[in-house]
Amino acid sequence: MDQTIYVAGVGVISGIGNNVAEHLASFEREAAGMADITLFETIHQHSRPVAEVKLTDDELIAQTGLSTHNGRTALLSLVAAREAMTDADIPDIKNWRTGFVSANTVGGMDKSEDFFVHFLADNSKGKLKNVFDHECGSMTEIVADELGISDFMTTISTACSSSANAIFYGARLIKNDILDVVIAGGADAITKFTLNGFNTLMILDKELCKPFDENREGLNLGEGAGYVVLISEKVAQKLGKRPYCKLSGYNNSNDAFHQTASSPDGTGSYLAMKKALKKSGLNATDIDYINLHGTGTPNNDSAEGTAIKRLFHPAYPPMSSTKSFTGHTLGASGGVEAVFSVLAVKHGLIYPNLRFKTRMTDLPFEPETKFQKGQKIKHVMSNSFGFGGNCTSLIFSEVKE
Amino acid sequence: MSASNYITSSSAISDNIVFKDNKPVFENQGAEVAELLLSVYQHFGFNYPKFYKMDNLSKLGWLAAEVLLQNGFKKDDYRPEEIGIVLTNANSSLDTDLKYVETIKEFPSPSVFVYTLPNIVIGEICIRNKFKGEQAFFIQEEFDPDFIVQHVNYLLGNDILKTCVCGWVDLLDQSYHASLFMIEKENHEGSVAFSTENLNAAFGNRI
Repeated sequence: MDQTIYVAGVGVISGIGNNVAEHLASFEREAAGMADITLFETIHQHSRPVAEVKLTDDELIAQTGLSTHNGRTALLSLVAAREAMTDADIPDIKNWRTGFVSANTVGGMDKSEDFFVHFLADNSKGKLKNVFDHECGSMTEIVADELGISDFMTTISTACSSSANAIFYGARLIKNDILDVVIAGGADAITKFTLNGFNTLMILDKELCKPFDENREGLNLGEGAGYVVLISEKVAQKLGKRPYCKLSGYNNSNDAFHQTASSPDGTGSYLAMKKALKKSGLNATDIDYINLHGTGTPNNDSAEGTAIKRLFHPAYPPMSSTKSFTGHTLGASGGVEAVFSVLAVKHGLIYPNLRFKTRMTDLPFEPETKFQKGQKIKHVMSNSFGFGGNCTSLIFSEVKE
Repeated sequence: MSASNYITSSSAISDNIVFKDNKPVFENQGAEVAELLLSVYQHFGFNYPKFYKMDNLSKLGWLAAEVLLQNGFKKDDYRPEEIGIVLTNANSSLDTDLKYVETIKEFPSPSVFVYTLPNIVIGEICIRNKFKGEQAFFIQEEFDPDFIVQHVNYLLGNDILKTCVCGWVDLLDQSYHASLFMIEKENHEGSVAFSTENLNAAFGNRI
């Protein structure tokens, strides 16, 4: 039952690219995706930079071929999930038990926001079809239908660790012989709801975010989707190519401290990283790169940094927050960053942590600031920590020749 | 699925009276909700500074849970993962939602915002007591003992939990009612059967 879980395909869309190739190019050019808000009108238009996907809803509809527009989250999800499936190119996929485990936190909120403008002005107005797909599960169903996946589908919504938990859960479904193939990850679009919510919590930076910098002032919201195709050993044997890597470790631990803040010691993140290492049978010194949760808020980076210090001191691996490129894609971030982690293993990449200047006072380490390729990367840890203290770490490891 | 579970303890706060196992243990007539909640906290000598930061719904549920778990419940008989919470109410977090909307007019308050979800009260009780089992919060028009019995029996009957705190925690402006029950598999002295009738009787006694 304790079989190896392989990653056979990846797909991603975010503020720095509409597919995997464009992401790699943006990383190499060190080009971040943040700019003024264009998706909707808001008083925060020019004062809260966000990393929007550079395609309008209409362009996404044209690209995906979705006949009805049920929310930007579903559109983003379909683009990345389809890329991942195409990339995996699993022979005779119909013969395998295939599942879609997709995470998101906003569902069809963008459409609901359109509805309420009209409905609140006149309660006989507003198109009901705009609220039909409000709930998170609808996003998964729309995309699973388009992908032709009917054996299994489920939606996970645990704030910013959602997609990492979807990947974690997908792996368990394969390990327990319930499925052979799982497309796992998540999606989230920027909406007024999330922008105003995070603004209320006073954790949005008015400038471009500076993760793990002493003078960091908050996060920038982003949007996107990221999926990995997880397969069993049996499927891997039929794949006809070497998988990207394996998913060797994972853990979810709760901080149990505060609704929206991490504990000062980073108890949840420490436990998630430590237990993911244990699951993978690795030591802290085996990790070659950490893709940080690194939101850029004073609280997250301090807690995550403290947890890393507890676990890794004195030998710190290279680490960086790719949110300095993509912004914080919330429910999608675990999937988006899992794709980056998989690519790091496959191509020996270390991503730069943009705009880093000053080391944090209490930490004896700092993030990488230069794009590096051709590195020897055997094991990558990807952190995703969510509101409610929901902390998940994943570990991706090389597949030997 | 056998349903031989027991109500081993109960607590309630309504009509300015605090009940433990159906007996009044504290009364503060005439007090408004906020004043009443603080007086309960002080009367029982609870020491938990985070109480002062909570919204009224969380204070109400937290106090009812403190009273419920006092004198009798043997937490050490269970692992944290074996203790769960299932709560219900009619008004969700509307009391705080409305207060939050008021703050938007001047400056949206982060500390009010973080209580604009009903299940935060479950989080507060779990953090206090280190409970880590299954949890759920259901919004229902009125107290539905049939539903609670069915749901909690399922959790206990399928070994998802060994014990469960369940009941009703509702608060909107000056109107409030908390009624909590400790459900365990073992019969203790003074326990009654975990049944619709016994939940209804305990809940109705105090309206």
